[in-house]
Amino acid sequence: MRLTLIAHTPSPEAMIAAAMLTTTSGVKPSTIYERLQANPEKINDIVSRLEVQHGSILEHNRLVWILEADEHLVLDTLLKNKFFSFTRLGSGMWLMSANLRAALEYSKEYGSDLGDSLLDSIGTVAPNLRCFSERKRT
Amino acid sequence: MKVKLLSYQPLKDVLSHLPAAKLSEKELLGHLSFTFALEGISRACSHQLVRHRVASFSQQSQRYIQVRRLKTHVVAPPSVTAKSPEIFDSLIGQASNAYQALVDAGIPREDARFVLPNATETNLLVTMDGRSLVHFFGLRCCIRAQWEVKELSDEMLRQVREAEPGLFSGAGPYCFQLGRCPEGRFTCGRMGEVVEKYRV
Repeated sequence: MRLTLIAHTPSPEAMIAAAMLTTTSGVKPSTIYERLQANPEKINDIVSRLEVQHGSILEHNRLVWILEADEHLVLDTLLKNKFFSFTRLGSGMWLMSANLRAALEYSKEYGSDLGDSLLDSIGTVAPNLRCFSERKRT
Repeated sequence: MKVKLLSYQPLKDVLSHLPAAKLSEKELLGHLSFTFALEGISRACSHQLVRHRVASFSQQSQRYIQVRRLKTHVVAPPSVTAKSPEIFDSLIGQASNAYQALVDAGIPREDARFVLPNATETNLLVTMDGRSLVHFFGLRCCIRAQWEVKELSDEMLRQVREAEPGLFSGAGPYCFQLGRCPEGRFTCGRMGEVVEKYRV
């Protein structure tokens, strides 16, 4: 199994923080997002303090990978989490995508090679969220 | 109403990592997501929006946020303002007073909000993948869709067409996408005119 992150939506942590503040503040979401992008410290602060009950704030993003694996792993992943998308690229090669919530939940629930690779991707695009997931594990 | 495409994954970033001619752009739609800030729409409109389940929503909470100056934060349908604005304004005034009185009496906001009307403005973030967006446009850009959600979806379509013209040039109401009207006996009978409007 080999997982390669090839693309993701920009500033996933800024969007997580914007989603969180959209639900609990009276400020318009476009203003929140704009202000947050100019204030990385605030993003770090919000995301690293995250106590996620509604995982939906982790869904406003998408990560895209190339997965080299057999069909068994693809089927197994889909059976475990329906929010992953796959497109066959060729023999043993797949385009795979999911949002951070699906990736995080999978990596937390299943300690497999794929779960660990997903966690590495999370660490790349949303390092504070990775800290959060590790805190939840302990 | 304000609509803003806040974030999306450019198609070219994905294509650059794929072997040439492996996938069509349409096949990639499900792997690309688009996040919009939707501001100043009515709760009536957001109720229609959240019926599209293959999407993610983060909506301003009426449990956490107290509604202030309701009279200036409502969406009034043009049909109402044209014919009976006084009935509408009177009800909004009563709802506003009742809501404030309940909050002042110490009733939790989550309970006081039960008197708020569907016209109350709301703000939210919505994220859909490209495939879900095309379906959303198919239904909500239709001339038979409710005016507010149609206005919303038309603006969302305009912005994604600007961002990804290749992906969304064929998106629009289902008559435009399919070349036939799927509304059966409810058809507006103006398909030619509608199709022409959405042609790039």
